[in-house]
Amino acid sequence: MDIVYSLEIGAVAAVAAILGSMLGLGGGVFLVPILTLFFGIDPKFAVGASAVVVVTNSVVGSTNHLRIRFTNPRLAMLLQIATAAGAIAGALYGVLADPRVIYIVFGAVLVYAAVSMVIRSERRVTAPPPGARDTLRLGAAFRDPAIKEEVGYIPINVGWGMGVGVGAGVISGMLGVGGGVVMVPVMNLLMRVPVKAAVGTSTFMVGMTSVATAFVFYSRGFIDPTLVVPAIVGVFIGGQIGSRLTRRIKAQRLALLFALILLYLGLSLLLRAFGVEMPGQA
Amino acid sequence: MTDDRPTDESDAARATALGTAELAARTERLEPIYDAAVKTLFWGFRLGAALLALGIFAALVKRQPLGHEADPIPDVIAKVRAGYASGIIDLAILWFMLTPVATVIVVAANFWRLGDRRYALLSLVVLAILGVSVALALNR
Repeated sequence: MDIVYSLEIGAVAAVAAILGSMLGLGGGVFLVPILTLFFGIDPKFAVGASAVVVVTNSVVGSTNHLRIRFTNPRLAMLLQIATAAGAIAGALYGVLADPRVIYIVFGAVLVYAAVSMVIRSERRVTAPPPGARDTLRLGAAFRDPAIKEEVGYIPINVGWGMGVGVGAGVISGMLGVGGGVVMVPVMNLLMRVPVKAAVGTSTFMVGMTSVATAFVFYSRGFIDPTLVVPAIVGVFIGGQIGSRLTRRIKAQRLALLFALILLYLGLSLLLRAFGVEMPGQA
Repeated sequence: MTDDRPTDESDAARATALGTAELAARTERLEPIYDAAVKTLFWGFRLGAALLALGIFAALVKRQPLGHEADPIPDVIAKVRAGYASGIIDLAILWFMLTPVATVIVVAANFWRLGDRRYALLSLVVLAILGVSVALALNR
């Protein structure tokens, strides 16, 4: 094992996880751009590593969300049909795609994430709407520790949610990100699921979505253990630090700074697609 | 348990207004699913982490370099048997990747046990989709 290289990758993964954890985006959103832009790693190997890291992160994170009932297993399984199918399609395209396509799509996703961070909107849901229909038995409740009350909800627009889920899966499969960056706002704004339940359900789902991605990249030889191992360790440590920092620092206060970082990475990837390298990049 | 068991009720009959208390009771009835999923993920991560630590330790002690590409599954098993660090690390990576798949199996089984055939079948559809990607990996 090349210790210095492993430590560098581990440190970068930890930073990616700290940022991702504070923003609720997951580490993959930062990991792939940093590995490709600053380490010159082939985007397909970066995506493969990221997919495995996202799986590991989800395995750890889901445990907590399931314990406190933020996860809705019925909703997760229903939406997962769409996102997992999309992820396989996206990954099959991703392993064959010209790296420039990956740069362009990833760049666009990061610019979208940066913009949505600045104009962040959230639908407050504290009770199911009066007379709400629940033909799919997707309604659930959880105890919100912030307001110390039981919060009930019944997801609506399920068909639309599944439709967008296919798209989220395709993006996830192509880029090795979890898909939470799309699914959390969709569940909250479109399906009227409270944010905590949306995050809990999404965290559970991204593990399954990224498994589909990871196995496709594995099948084509794009899983590099010298990259994956330090990234898993780094992201695990960074995730722990990030969740502690989140409790102390309101990430919202740093929204503009984070948005600028996302914008810089996004624009760098878009420029890279056209052969332009920013200073200091590999 | 009537709310979670499939009945002959039409969708329209089922589509009654539900309050938070009823939704909370419905969520509580899913406790076996939550418990089983937590156990699977918890032990899946622990065992994967233990394998990874063992692989890293073996690589450092035996001074064995890791490959830049994870081996195909049959080769991983052969390398683990031969005591290669790279085999143990590849196995740890595969273990992490299989943990969510195992969770889907556990969730499907528990939906079935609770009499919720609809979501048991939907979970099996998810499993079948994930099975496609696993099959691709096996045919490498």
